[in-house]
Amino acid sequence: MRKINFGIIQFPGSNCEQDCFYVIKNILKQNCTYIWHDSNSLKKIDCLIIPGGFSYGDYLRTGAIASQSKISLKIKEFAKKGGIVIGICNGFQILTELKLLPGVLLRNHSLNFICEDVYLKVSNNKSIFTSEYSNDDIVKIPIAHAEGNYFLNKTELNEVKKSNQIIFQYSNPIGQINQESNPNGSILNIAGICNKNGNVLGLMPHPERVSEHMLGGIDGKKIFNSIIRHFSA
Amino acid sequence: MSKFSVTIEIMPIDSVLDPQGEAIELTLKNNPKFSVSNFRVGKRIEFVVQSKSKTDCQKIVKDLCEKFLVNEIIEKYKIKIENAKN
Repeated sequence: MRKINFGIIQFPGSNCEQDCFYVIKNILKQNCTYIWHDSNSLKKIDCLIIPGGFSYGDYLRTGAIASQSKISLKIKEFAKKGGIVIGICNGFQILTELKLLPGVLLRNHSLNFICEDVYLKVSNNKSIFTSEYSNDDIVKIPIAHAEGNYFLNKTELNEVKKSNQIIFQYSNPIGQINQESNPNGSILNIAGICNKNGNVLGLMPHPERVSEHMLGGIDGKKIFNSIIRHFSA
Repeated sequence: MSKFSVTIEIMPIDSVLDPQGEAIELTLKNNPKFSVSNFRVGKRIEFVVQSKSKTDCQKIVKDLCEKFLVNEIIEKYKIKIENAKN
């Protein structure tokens, strides 16, 4: 089986890229390179990761300035051609600003920065990113953000429901999706969503932080394994 | 080419919850001195544009707002254009 080429975009202010790199290279034994925000090319990449952090200080709106950077045009081209893109936390915010994903991430309802383990329900295991999970699996993955309150207008909400774009939802340990299990005020408890074509995923939780037992679990590893599985199918 | 001073006022749209405004209002509810309500918190951006005319400037600024400065899913904005002083 050939090794998959992952590329991790680095913006000034990204701070989760090394965690992603470590998981891809050392745990999953795949190829991985960093791509600086000022580059003109994406090299030969199978899957792009836009990592967490505070790109450009998150000035103006989270992810807004990153969406205007040089590499962003290339990310857009890559995604439009069907390239696999996963945006984690700030990466998710950037993908919405790039309009590759619908909606926007607002300030958490509580106004607090929330850093804790949360439970998620896998609402769609038919996606490229979740084929290693069973449908309705409950997984524990940490979040760490101040702007994770996912918002969509009514029309868009109907659209994403109709197209099965909701991938992960915040739940309690037994899979109930309600207000108590919603850490940040996200509409319908949405924690992760994909585009209509299914090749772009954005999620607030950090799967790279739970990809080996030493760090408390491997619930996040299955996302990366699903991507690898997609290429070997 | 003329120079124009541009001010943009950006506010969250009415249907979006504004937790900052809410937090301010909630705090002031405990203070009988002020009878105030309906707080919304936005932002103001100022910059200078060089363009042929005020109409041209208006077009440039609108485009800039729609593509970058404002996210119209959650924000509305007002543009103010004046002749730049120097």
